[in-house]
Amino acid sequence: MIDFLDAPALRMAWLNLWRNRLRTGLAALGVVIGVVAIAAIGITGTAIQTGATQQLGDISNTVTVFPGEDNTDGIITDSQVNAIERAAAGATVVPQRSEAMTVSSRSESRRVTVEATSQPASLYTASAGTIPSPMRSGVLLSEEMAADLGVSLGQTVSVDGRSYRVVAILEPSGGFGPGGVSVVLPLDAIDRDGYDQVTVVATGGADAQRLAQVIPAEVNQRDQVVDTFTPADIQQAISGFFATLNAALLGVGSISLVVAGVSILNVMLMSVVERRAEIGVFRAVGIRRREVMRMILAEAALLGVVGGLVGVVLSVVIGYTVNAQLLGDPMLVFASRNLLFLGLGFGFAVFASTISGLYPAWKASTANPVEVLRG
Amino acid sequence: MTDSDSVDGGVDVTPPPDDGPPAHPVAELDDVTKQYRSGDEVIDALSHVDFAVEPGEMVAVMGPSGSGKSTLLNVLGLLDVPTSGIVRLDGDDVTSYDDEQRTMARRRTIGFVFQSFHLVPMLTATENVLVPTMFVRGNQRDRAEDLLHRMGLGDRLDHRPDQLSGGQRQRVAIARALINEPRLVLADEPTGNLDRDTGRKILEEFERISSERDVGVVAVTHDELVTEFTDRTVELIDGVVQ
Repeated sequence: MIDFLDAPALRMAWLNLWRNRLRTGLAALGVVIGVVAIAAIGITGTAIQTGATQQLGDISNTVTVFPGEDNTDGIITDSQVNAIERAAAGATVVPQRSEAMTVSSRSESRRVTVEATSQPASLYTASAGTIPSPMRSGVLLSEEMAADLGVSLGQTVSVDGRSYRVVAILEPSGGFGPGGVSVVLPLDAIDRDGYDQVTVVATGGADAQRLAQVIPAEVNQRDQVVDTFTPADIQQAISGFFATLNAALLGVGSISLVVAGVSILNVMLMSVVERRAEIGVFRAVGIRRREVMRMILAEAALLGVVGGLVGVVLSVVIGYTVNAQLLGDPMLVFASRNLLFLGLGFGFAVFASTISGLYPAWKASTANPVEVLRG
Repeated sequence: MTDSDSVDGGVDVTPPPDDGPPAHPVAELDDVTKQYRSGDEVIDALSHVDFAVEPGEMVAVMGPSGSGKSTLLNVLGLLDVPTSGIVRLDGDDVTSYDDEQRTMARRRTIGFVFQSFHLVPMLTATENVLVPTMFVRGNQRDRAEDLLHRMGLGDRLDHRPDQLSGGQRQRVAIARALINEPRLVLADEPTGNLDRDTGRKILEEFERISSERDVGVVAVTHDELVTEFTDRTVELIDGVVQ
């Protein structure tokens, strides 16, 4: 228990809050709701954003370079590839050709867009077999295509009449970017000049966004012969969207804490008016104005601390559930960003409560001790 | 009533304060007037009042309702400031003290006892006695418990006011008034809420305090019983000392 002489303001505050348990509880409930509004919404927002980013995560470091609107040939030439390589020093540059071709096994036949490149290992990962680097022979099939054709690793398929051995089955890639490919051949399997697109693998999302700007600037002299696209842009737009959404929701949460602050102001004011006589006695027996203020402020702050703590506990429970459901890892609720939200909610609760206590505290401190003696 | 040797009711001229024992009154009102404004009427709650309490003296202030008794107590207790005149506490002119100075002077020099006790309901008897000291450094718990023992409440230290009888509550209030070793104890109708027997015991307590501790006691009251215990009685009618 709080000792009366060690922390008199705190002990008086605690006893006074305890004296009106129901009223205290209701005022604290407002704070709890405010803290949950801030912290739980923040944590949920983080979880949704993390989930969305995970989906896009693997491919956001690529830049696709394709023929621009002034490119009359509709292809990217060898010299342009050289220019891209110069512009994107350090990144892996993968020229690709694609064409609609007929792929068939003994029993099945499909007409699909086939991609030809010498460095598929930079773009794809194999779920079975190995992707040769550089790739000079064989064929890579997506899991779906292999299933459709009824072939497995090591068997042979024919593409437009030529036979290729299946050297690897590709892992499906999620989201945007160079996924969705079903058949990959060596570059010279499509025998013509130039390339349909060039994929640049950057070191990260920011680097990809930079290269998406640098490459056209370097390669295009006057006409827009190449254009670029990077999923990192989309990812950033999505992150930005979530950040805005979160900020808006946090704003709503903050408003509910302000409302809680107003209700604390109301409750404290009522309680100060009720305790006029008692406060008058305190003043009469030599308690100073600022000491009375300290008592009332401690009461308001304590209300914020109690409500804030309950709110933090509730928010952690909510965040735990949300992270378990959305991301499969409930402990992500203790990620540093979420701790920030919890801290923000708690801090704002204590701050708003203390501010709300200022006026009642001042009011109490100016209570006229003379009135007590009339009682 | 009391034959205590410290009583010196006849003195009304203050000797020079530089010699040995403090011969000046603990509290003194010099030509004090207190006016209240009520609408466009001005009411003299106190009119040119001269009043003094000596150390060890117990004074009753009597008078009908509205006679200015409470105002006198408020001014003596530095809860209110006079419209004109001089208030002295232990020889110091405190008339122009600001709120902070008056509060500190009350804390140091004055103890209050109220008609309806005004104990803090959630605090124990000991804690209630400690209220005036709660923002002062130093642990006075032993002293508080000692005071309660002497008031015959040694077995009620941890009781809350609602677990105490009226007389016991008033004893706690008296112990609270004494915790800071005041020079002056002001009592507002101290027996007003007590039955006659209990009132008598409380008044004996005041009598003991004033003689043993050399404390000036002023009791404002309607109760004729009080005058049996006091050294002298001041009658106040319409703000004028009779």
